[in-house]
Amino acid sequence: MTEGRGKRGQTVVRCVEVTKRFGSFEALRKVSVEVRAGEVVCIIGPSGGGKSTFLRTLNGLESIEEGEIHVLDVRLPAGKREIERLRREVGMVFQSFNLFLHMSVRANLTLAPTTALGLSKAEANERAKRLLTRVGIEEQIDKYPGQLSGGQQQRVAIARALAMEPKIMLFDEPTSSLDPEMVNEVLDVIRGLAESGMTMLVVTHEMGFAREVADRVLFITDGQILVDAPPAEFFGRPTDERQAAFLSKIL
Amino acid sequence: MLGYGGQTESHDRTWGQNALFAAFAIGLAGLLAYQVNWELIGSLDFSVVWEYRLPLLKGLGTTLFLTAIAGVLGIFFGTILAILSQSPFAPLRWAVVAYVEVFRNTPLLVQLIWLHFALPAFTGINTTALESGILAITLQAGAYFTEIVRAGIEAVPKGQWEAAYALGLPDWTRWTRVILPPALRIMIPPLVNLIISFFKASAILSILQVSELMTVTNRISNVTFKPIELFTATAAIYFVLGYIMSQATLRIERVLQRSQR
Amino acid sequence: MRFETHQLAQHYPLLFEGLRITLTICALSLAFGIVIGLVACFGKLRERGIAYRIAVIYIDFFRTIPEVVLIFWVYSCLPLMLSLRISAEASGVIALTLFASAYLAEIFRAGILAVPRGQIEAALALGVPSLHIWIRVILQPAIRRMMPALVSFLTELIKATSLLSAIGVAEMAYQASVLGSKTFAYVEFLSAIGVLYFIIIFPLSIYARRAERRLVSRTAN
Ligand SMILES: Nc1ncnc2c1ncn2[C@@H]1O[C@H](COP(=O)(O)OP(=O)(O)O)[C@@H](O)[C@H]1O
Ligand SMILES: [Mg+2]
Repeated sequence: MTEGRGKRGQTVVRCVEVTKRFGSFEALRKVSVEVRAGEVVCIIGPSGGGKSTFLRTLNGLESIEEGEIHVLDVRLPAGKREIERLRREVGMVFQSFNLFLHMSVRANLTLAPTTALGLSKAEANERAKRLLTRVGIEEQIDKYPGQLSGGQQQRVAIARALAMEPKIMLFDEPTSSLDPEMVNEVLDVIRGLAESGMTMLVVTHEMGFAREVADRVLFITDGQILVDAPPAEFFGRPTDERQAAFLSKIL
Repeated sequence: MLGYGGQTESHDRTWGQNALFAAFAIGLAGLLAYQVNWELIGSLDFSVVWEYRLPLLKGLGTTLFLTAIAGVLGIFFGTILAILSQSPFAPLRWAVVAYVEVFRNTPLLVQLIWLHFALPAFTGINTTALESGILAITLQAGAYFTEIVRAGIEAVPKGQWEAAYALGLPDWTRWTRVILPPALRIMIPPLVNLIISFFKASAILSILQVSELMTVTNRISNVTFKPIELFTATAAIYFVLGYIMSQATLRIERVLQRSQR
Repeated sequence: MRFETHQLAQHYPLLFEGLRITLTICALSLAFGIVIGLVACFGKLRERGIAYRIAVIYIDFFRTIPEVVLIFWVYSCLPLMLSLRISAEASGVIALTLFASAYLAEIFRAGILAVPRGQIEAALALGVPSLHIWIRVILQPAIRRMMPALVSFLTELIKATSLLSAIGVAEMAYQASVLGSKTFAYVEFLSAIGVLYFIIIFPLSIYARRAERRLVSRTAN
């Protein structure tokens, strides 16, 4: 899958009329969308619009009430076994890092490969070192998350997800809780990942990043995808009133 | 608890856990059904509780009286000692700490018997069981309350103290207007919980035959030979009252939390 | 009055025998209490259903009734109801197990619920198997977090064993009362066990308080 951007592979994510409710509140309303292998899809929209919820339905962190989601070869809703298998092939990076605070960086990176993939300690260790080198913090391997800066923590979190060698990566506002001077070091890692051909869905408020890296930009508000367009079109000619209002506020 | 996206997970998870709980429950129930003396259970006669309702109520009255004493005197001494524990005079602080630690780190039962037998030996003053009981429970309550009040006082931000000093407020005004009111808000839930725990602890005074509910129950059980009925009824009384009190505390805590925002 | 130390010198082995029984009973009821407490804790964590209701009633009941009442109930009612002979020691262990399990269940539950949701979600998102999530991501930090409460409860349990003297279990407080009434040296023996209780309990409270403070300052930043 190194065809690079522009070329598109087969469909790896397909949502069909997905509805998600919290009680009687509809967080997602009949959402339909497709993503192909190798695509980088950026998701933007106002807070509370349903971006996180959308992303979390894709790896089964949120159940759905109506519709169906096909991710790789799994059809959601599914049983625990299926969901666990799916999650091993879909990596997720959270806004608040969610590193295991009581474990060293090394243990954070090796926990899932050893327990879920059955890698030996040595193999998992090798993989951890390789990935930490890739995100540029190999020297921090024996530290604890509390001893790292926010930017370093988020890079560890990305390496932790990559340690499962996922086919798809989900990012939920990966730079929103970082101090400004650390945003770029994390964006650089994500950009590198995009260039390597990884299929990615990235919720972000970094418009420059979206314009530069995305193949498509989705605008989500009120639980609906209102706009789905290439970045040039999306930022150049807003087609929706709410999209235009949002962009004028944020740009 | 883990959550696998809703629908099917509840099925998967519940199955294993239900099997576990079912095994546990069936095992326990089987054991009981096999051992329980159903004939005796069938012949239980709770009318004895009604028959002796007056002494039982009187015992309950004494229990509540002891609880109130522990609460009121405990808070009174606790507040004074907590304020003394902020004193610049070190020996005074040490004395408070010693008192608090001794009474918090030894059993109430030992304090009770010690006071009952040692006090006459040292002072020549003979105390009745009730007096010893009141003394012991008050002293222990005082120690626990001191800790709570102190924690409340120390939770008041330094800036408040400094502002009070900077304004040159007199000691009395500083304590009653600046420090204690916000401290009180933090203290109320643990204070009420402590009062509930002294409601429970008052039953320990039955060791000295202070005529509270537990003593009365013991006595009646000894003359009527109906321990099951009596102890069960007493347990129920303690449970109902204690439960009401702790639910009320939860309510208070929630109200306080809400009014804080 | 004179403090008759020779009485202590003569009879101290009995006090230590009492101490041994105190500690044994504590250890047994703590061990059984942990097992039953875990079952009750997981029952209550389910938040609905029959196991949840049973667990809530069990926990509320045994946390609310006084330990003395529980001890007398087990000692004088349970043998009749089960037509079994239950020794005073066994009654004591049963009563304190009921008491401990109810409190421990709440301590365990608080520890588990304090594990941030994000930690669990991160493990889920990685596809870590649930058994490993429980062990490595939930229980390991939860145990560390509940140590202060656990140790502080242990001090309560040690104090509660003294109540077993009321049903004639030959633990430390019982030995002191018996020796006191035999020799009329009440004050001496009671003071001695008071000191012994303090020596055991005080370090535990200090540990619990320190650990608690460390925990608070760690979670604050
Ligand atoms: N666990 C939940 N329970 C109830 N409501 C929720 C929950 N999670 C999200 N919501 C609601 O769903 C809506 C969408 O939330 P979210 O997907 O987090 O928005 P975004 O990520 O776009 O800011 C919001 O109104 C939010 O309040
Ligand atoms: Mg969000």
